[in-house]
Amino acid sequence: MMSLNSKELEESKEITRRAFLKIISGLGLTGLMAGGLSGCVPKQTGEITPPLLAKSKMWPENVVGRIPIDPDNPSIVRYDEKCILCGQCIQACQETQSVYGFYNLPVVDETICINCGQCTLVCPTGAISERDDTRKVLKALADPDKFVVVQTAPATRVALGEEFGMPAGAWVMGQQVAALRRLGFDAVLDTNFTADLTIMEEATELIKRIKGEIDKPLPQFTSCSPGWIKFCEYFYPELLPHMSSCKSPQQMFGALAKTYYAKNKNIPPEKFVSVSIMPCTAKKFEAKRPEMNDSGLCLGKPALRDVDIVLTTRELARLLKQRNIDLNKLPKENYDPLMGESTGGAIIFGATGGVMEAAVRTAYFFVTGQQPPASLFNLTPVRGLSGIKEAQVDIPGAGTVKVAICHGMANGRKVLEKVKQGQSPWHFIEFMACPGGCLGGGGQPRTTALPSDEIRTKRLNSLYQADARWQRRESHENPEVVALYHKFLEHPMSELAEKLLHTEYVSRADKLNRTAVAAARSWKLRVVK
Amino acid sequence: MQRTWSFKLTPYRYILIALAVIMVVVALVRLVLGLGAVTNLNDHWPWGLWIGFDLLCGIALAGGGFSTAFIVHVLHKGKYLPIVRAALLTSMIGYVIALVALLFDIGRWPNFWRPFFYWGYHSVLFEVFWCIAVYTTVQILEFGDIFLERVKSFPLKKVLGYAMTPLLIIGIILPTLHQSSLGSLYVVAVDKLYPLWWSMIMGFFFVWSAFFLGPAMVTLEGTLAARAYKRTPELPIFQSLTKVTLWMMIVYLIVKIIDLVYRGVLSLAFNGSFESNMFLIEMIVFIIVPIIMYAIPAIRTKLWGVVTASVLVIVGVIFNRMNVVFTGMAAQMGGHYFPSPWEWLVTLGMWSILILAYLFIVENFPILVKEDHAEEAAVASRASVGKGVPSGT
Amino acid sequence: MAKAVLVDITKCVGCGGCTVACKLYNELTWEEKEPQLGEKANLCANNWTVVQKFAVDTPETGVWRYIKRQCMHCLEPACESACFTHSFVKTKEGAVIYKPTELKQDFCVGCRYCMIACPFDIPKFEWDKALPFVRKCRFCNDRLKAGEPPACVSVCPTGALKFGEREELLVEARQRISASPHYVKDIYGEKEYGGTSWLYLSDVPFEKIGLKTTAFEKPVSKEPIPLYSWNVLKWTPYIFVGWGAVLTALHYYTKRRVEVHEEEMYEAVETKEDIKQ
Repeated sequence: MMSLNSKELEESKEITRRAFLKIISGLGLTGLMAGGLSGCVPKQTGEITPPLLAKSKMWPENVVGRIPIDPDNPSIVRYDEKCILCGQCIQACQETQSVYGFYNLPVVDETICINCGQCTLVCPTGAISERDDTRKVLKALADPDKFVVVQTAPATRVALGEEFGMPAGAWVMGQQVAALRRLGFDAVLDTNFTADLTIMEEATELIKRIKGEIDKPLPQFTSCSPGWIKFCEYFYPELLPHMSSCKSPQQMFGALAKTYYAKNKNIPPEKFVSVSIMPCTAKKFEAKRPEMNDSGLCLGKPALRDVDIVLTTRELARLLKQRNIDLNKLPKENYDPLMGESTGGAIIFGATGGVMEAAVRTAYFFVTGQQPPASLFNLTPVRGLSGIKEAQVDIPGAGTVKVAICHGMANGRKVLEKVKQGQSPWHFIEFMACPGGCLGGGGQPRTTALPSDEIRTKRLNSLYQADARWQRRESHENPEVVALYHKFLEHPMSELAEKLLHTEYVSRADKLNRTAVAAARSWKLRVVK
Repeated sequence: MQRTWSFKLTPYRYILIALAVIMVVVALVRLVLGLGAVTNLNDHWPWGLWIGFDLLCGIALAGGGFSTAFIVHVLHKGKYLPIVRAALLTSMIGYVIALVALLFDIGRWPNFWRPFFYWGYHSVLFEVFWCIAVYTTVQILEFGDIFLERVKSFPLKKVLGYAMTPLLIIGIILPTLHQSSLGSLYVVAVDKLYPLWWSMIMGFFFVWSAFFLGPAMVTLEGTLAARAYKRTPELPIFQSLTKVTLWMMIVYLIVKIIDLVYRGVLSLAFNGSFESNMFLIEMIVFIIVPIIMYAIPAIRTKLWGVVTASVLVIVGVIFNRMNVVFTGMAAQMGGHYFPSPWEWLVTLGMWSILILAYLFIVENFPILVKEDHAEEAAVASRASVGKGVPSGT
Repeated sequence: MAKAVLVDITKCVGCGGCTVACKLYNELTWEEKEPQLGEKANLCANNWTVVQKFAVDTPETGVWRYIKRQCMHCLEPACESACFTHSFVKTKEGAVIYKPTELKQDFCVGCRYCMIACPFDIPKFEWDKALPFVRKCRFCNDRLKAGEPPACVSVCPTGALKFGEREELLVEARQRISASPHYVKDIYGEKEYGGTSWLYLSDVPFEKIGLKTTAFEKPVSKEPIPLYSWNVLKWTPYIFVGWGAVLTALHYYTKRRVEVHEEEMYEAVETKEDIKQ
């Protein structure tokens, strides 16, 4: 049996890619992949059969093209020798994210990319991949002088298991902690802690906007998804004042880890290495944004980054496999204290609509001082995988708060156009770059078929089930967050909180060509022969 | 007087043989494993040391054969007969070596015979290839005369004798053509070769310099051979040859300047760039200085003077060819090239073989006029009336 | 008739799909140290086409420009004329092909004179092979014959590459130039070295994206390279016959002169030399 397998392997190695393409075209790649693809495209855009693949037999009919990827892209890399020009990446970038083809040519001085990594999920040969940073982590772990802290995003705990043969959506929070301890991290902490913190800050900001206490427009946009932020900076810089000034949970964590945590544990900041495990490739970009050094600025060492290394879920799985750590065989362990506690509100951050739901729960409490009604703990309209969702919540004292949720930037673009045209009825809008939110992030495990709503739904359900069984479900109830404000930050949007937890955005409009050579304008509507 | 073949081995000759053996090994490796395994040639620098030095310089240096042949056999300047065989011999070995170097250099060497059958007549290289191939054959036939004399096969020698005049004429036409075509090879490198060297009449410059190089080569060789075999250098001949070199170099210099002015690039010679400096060195040190040395009787009539000037001329031609192949092309070719040790070893070995072959043939064939004979010749040339020197044949 | 490709630099997004298509279609191998995309991309034996990135300073700001490079498929190819085994040929469809690999007519000796002759430095050599071939873009000759665009053009997602008749593409190129003030008012390849089958439009000066417009401070030649060597070679028969006649005449003339008249002259020369000594 083994020998047969290896023989087959050898034979397959000898097939050139051109031959491979011919075989694929013979089998009808179209038929095989159409099912998976429709899932990757948000429903609102209508039924999209992949037109780029709906072609006849011979080369280069199945050879379509690809998106540009800068070799210096911090998030994704492409191995040209694996590329078969199938055009799936174009599909993801153009149809799902409305990035490719939505700017004019000629290029300015940047390859337009929101770093979301959706192309890595759809690439059938694995030619496009996350930039591998595992070596940096191994180096830090091997250095006895370094104190290496790791944070784990809400959505990795419902996806990491897939890499170890578990069903989609398997809840592996405890095993993940155990695995990270076995890798040798000095402290295993939770991004959920700062997810709760984000809600504290963001809900406060929202209320202030609604009450007119700060001079910022409504609706307020969420700011947790770095792909979304870059998208807005590129395409809708005029709407950036709508963006919540809150950093994403990862960056809040980074800023606090090197200040609050390091101070509490008496660790010199230069020995402190902050690692994060994210479902997201854009987080690699976010951590490298020049302004993300607020902990360094506070400590008078501007060279310090808030977050040093970002690994995607896939990279963590690779690391574990390299070290022969099997997630299936690990016990469930708890996060380390101080920044490891979380609520149900934080857990659902990983799903589209989750940030909104958690924010509404806390905003209700902030405005009324009372527990939100039961309906706010199962806010159905904001749940699910519809591309654009709307809801309204009556908060006594603040009136009816209208909210919208969208995921996938093609959907985001529609919402943004409405806001831009002044037709927005909403007060608060959640944007997530990836379909399904973080659980469908570009750094999540690749599935055997193309990413589909079936998998996303399983991960989504797993998160909401966890929320439902959690003891505390409102972010403001997180005891460690309460302690943080008590001991360090004083209150939401305090001076120190503004310094560490809030940020500003830059327009990237100059990276897009808005006054292009006239002849080059129509390129995004590529006519497929 | 039948002698057996003899070849005395001295320490120097052992070194030369060692170098030759190393070359053979490296050359075999190159033939089996390819150019990349042995040379530093690359896509920026497709031609390197072997083409630049072994072929271009080798052929130019072997130009002594055709210029002496022209002087002696066409112009019938009989007094130069004593040197004609030596010149012919060096030339012939030079050509064989150049052809072997070429065989090593071409990538698909088993195909070396193809150009005989598939004619790319629109290529300058076609002319070079045919002329060199035919001329080498002619030279071997010419040398056959000497060989047959040595092995005392006089009937054959007589047959060859009838063909000798046409052979000699062809043996001058062909080198004229291919010495010039070697220059014309670079005509296609317009916009690549620095304009101080590139010219539509590069062919003229190459053939002309190969011709005036001949007497200088003969002078140097004659002096070295005389030293080695403890003879008196044939100074009178060297001296009268300087007139040929002198006038040809003056013409070369004038044509060069006219060409540069005509093409409007003379100013490039003084723009201070690397190329302009190399060009000025080439012109001043290796053209103007020898002209002056040849022009001054006090220098010309001394052995040291004539030999020094000749060395300058020889180095000058090598310098010129190197400037064409390397200096002039560097700016446009980009990349980096310096010959690998193996390339050097092959070149060294090749020239070692040349020296060894020369020594062997000189010691076994009637190449150099015998001492008494030479004195006789000198006397005869001074006193001779019409007959010139006794014929070597 | 003769096909051509118009490359519009302003439409290239730099995806490098064309380079991958080339490798796929022509079954070329991949080397990590030979990138096909970016600042360090260079043509080589296995990279028949590359997309080079240039950071260009413009009056307002610095911009990036990507340029696809490959064989220009000259109308009168230097390589064809330089090859003394006639291993290159320009087909009637417009491709300049290398016969040893394309037609299995293996007469190439590997002299690399084509590499010296090519004004665009296109032919590359398989340096690591025992019996190397010259390698370069073949304009996907088989596809061209079937009336199809080359592989690279067929995958260009932005329309930066356009395939068609050369004359029609030149008309279109002029239209594009007149329609937009951004373009350089010139079509690279229209006249350079006698014209090429690949034509370039750009909004930044051609020389800033690696296309040679000047050499040694003068515009590059508009004459085809083969004309240069022909202007030299055409004299060969005359030199052969003429020089041969002169030599023969001289030979017999001087022979007679030596036999009959030479005594005094020789004596005079020699005496003069003796006096100098």
